[in-house]
Amino acid sequence: MKIELQAVEKYYNRGEPNQVHALRAIDLSIDSNETICIHGPSGSGKSTLLAILGGIIGPTSGSAVVDGRKLARLPDRFLTLYRRQHIGFIFQRFRLIPELSVLENITLPLLPLGTRPAERKRRGLELLKRLEIDHRGDFLAAEISGGELQRAAVARALISDPSIIIADEPTAHLDTRLSEDFLSIMAELKNLGKTIIIASHDPLVSENPIVDRCFYLRDGRLRAVTGPQ
Amino acid sequence: MAAGYLDRQLNIADYALGGLTRRLGRNLVVVLVFGLVIFMVASFSLTTTSLKHAASQVLTTVPDITVQQMSAGRQVAFSANAAKELESIFGIRSVQPRVWGYYFDENNGANYTVIGVPNLGDETPLAGLGIDFHPNLETAEAFEPAIIGRGVRENLELGDRRAFSLFRPDLSLKSFVSSGTFNAETSMVTDDLIIMDLDAARDLFGVPGDAITDLLVDVANPLEIDTIADKISARLEGVRVVTRERIGKTYRVAFGWRSGFGLACLFGAVAAFFIFAWDKASGLTPAQQQEVAILKVLGWQTEDIITLRFWESVIISISAFGLGYLAAWIHLLFFNGLLFRPVLLGWSVVKPPLSLVPVFSFADLLIIFSLSILPYLAATVIPAWHSATIRPDSVI
Repeated sequence: MKIELQAVEKYYNRGEPNQVHALRAIDLSIDSNETICIHGPSGSGKSTLLAILGGIIGPTSGSAVVDGRKLARLPDRFLTLYRRQHIGFIFQRFRLIPELSVLENITLPLLPLGTRPAERKRRGLELLKRLEIDHRGDFLAAEISGGELQRAAVARALISDPSIIIADEPTAHLDTRLSEDFLSIMAELKNLGKTIIIASHDPLVSENPIVDRCFYLRDGRLRAVTGPQ
Repeated sequence: MAAGYLDRQLNIADYALGGLTRRLGRNLVVVLVFGLVIFMVASFSLTTTSLKHAASQVLTTVPDITVQQMSAGRQVAFSANAAKELESIFGIRSVQPRVWGYYFDENNGANYTVIGVPNLGDETPLAGLGIDFHPNLETAEAFEPAIIGRGVRENLELGDRRAFSLFRPDLSLKSFVSSGTFNAETSMVTDDLIIMDLDAARDLFGVPGDAITDLLVDVANPLEIDTIADKISARLEGVRVVTRERIGKTYRVAFGWRSGFGLACLFGAVAAFFIFAWDKASGLTPAQQQEVAILKVLGWQTEDIITLRFWESVIISISAFGLGYLAAWIHLLFFNGLLFRPVLLGWSVVKPPLSLVPVFSFADLLIIFSLSILPYLAATVIPAWHSATIRPDSVI
């Protein structure tokens, strides 16, 4: 799926004393099966950019087009459908629900689709096995280690077989070995044809060979630092 | 399509149940408080229905028309010959004399209702009250047979004995043998009752030869009762003519007014609960808000979150309804409607112990269901919608 941002601006609390101009004149084109990395300091607008790419919020002005469809014009209901069908999110702190088991957490996206329990379990266990944490399926999310949490978060992002994976600072809370594990999983996904967008200020990510292009975001402005402009 | 919709509903309902279990303490409080409110309303309703049922059962034994002689605004005895005046009225099937009075038992400080009827036994209209007849017992002729209420039996401390004596006005003793006991179902009116033969009642009260206190009129066509009552009033001077319908109306008005008053008082508790439910449903914890935002990022629609909240409310309200309604039945069955009986029967009159027999009424069940579950769902729908509109980017 091709993603194109053109002249995207994003304001929070526009016209008010606490106005934030989060993104300024962003032009970005991401091809299918491409892996890009966006890095920059905290507060530079990385999460806002991911939220627009993921159809969670719309830009204040400019356009976000995915496969020819303008996200900004889609009503909330269709944005949700877009996320459900095409996007897999990996949050910065993984955001698993601590009181649910790992298996329950990763199959959450399937509930509103009406997927039956047996099928949910089968798909969930298959993913956990692929990510080598199937022995933790019945554990509560609060009871597993950071590395396992991260793999569970990846499993949840993949459960609907999305074409785009968006990860926000996925290695921020991991040691080097676990970060490398994560990147090897991303490499596998890239081989499967997924488009991967990672926001990270971790050099381990931005300098990894799976990354096709890397962008630097500061004060809401984006510039390419590696790969084709 | 329909299967997909059903599966989606089942999935979300299952997730709602899991969520409620995870926050068990908080939700248990809501279920218990709501259950208490439903218990009060259902208890009141069940007790009222049982009392009305008991009253209606008693009414089946009441004659179509009761005729009493009045003098200076008070009821007095009159000659049984008055029955002959009525027998010629077309449409009257039978006229039975009756002696009705009260016997004060000084030893126990209790008042018994004494009724004397001709042909005591199965054939009397009182048989419909539910009498456990005792086997025939060889007794001296001086022992008059009598059917007695459970309260009388207890007050007289009869135990397994059946013979007892009551005082005539001249303090001489008249002996009786209990030939039957009224069963618990009609104890609302039979607990203090002693039924005996007409002559035995006259003898006990010292009523002269042919005097009676009431005439019980049986009418062939129930549609003619009011017309015949008017004819009786016209034919006998100074009598009070009471129809069964009028007695029934008195019961209904008494219970209806009291139950209405009681329900109005309970309305305050119900309203307070719905405010409480609104408040609970509105106050999402930060963890719950984050959960909603995560679900929305993961592809849950706003309507899915509203459905989730709907199922939570359904599970809470159905649980509370089951709990409250069951407790109301237990209250009635095992505690005899202890909490609301005084409200419905009144405090000022000393009533005999009354064994309430629960009566299932689907209409009552439906009313309680509608007045509890539907308002609860309505009270939680706006907070549910509010919680469903949490922006998903709050977790990014």
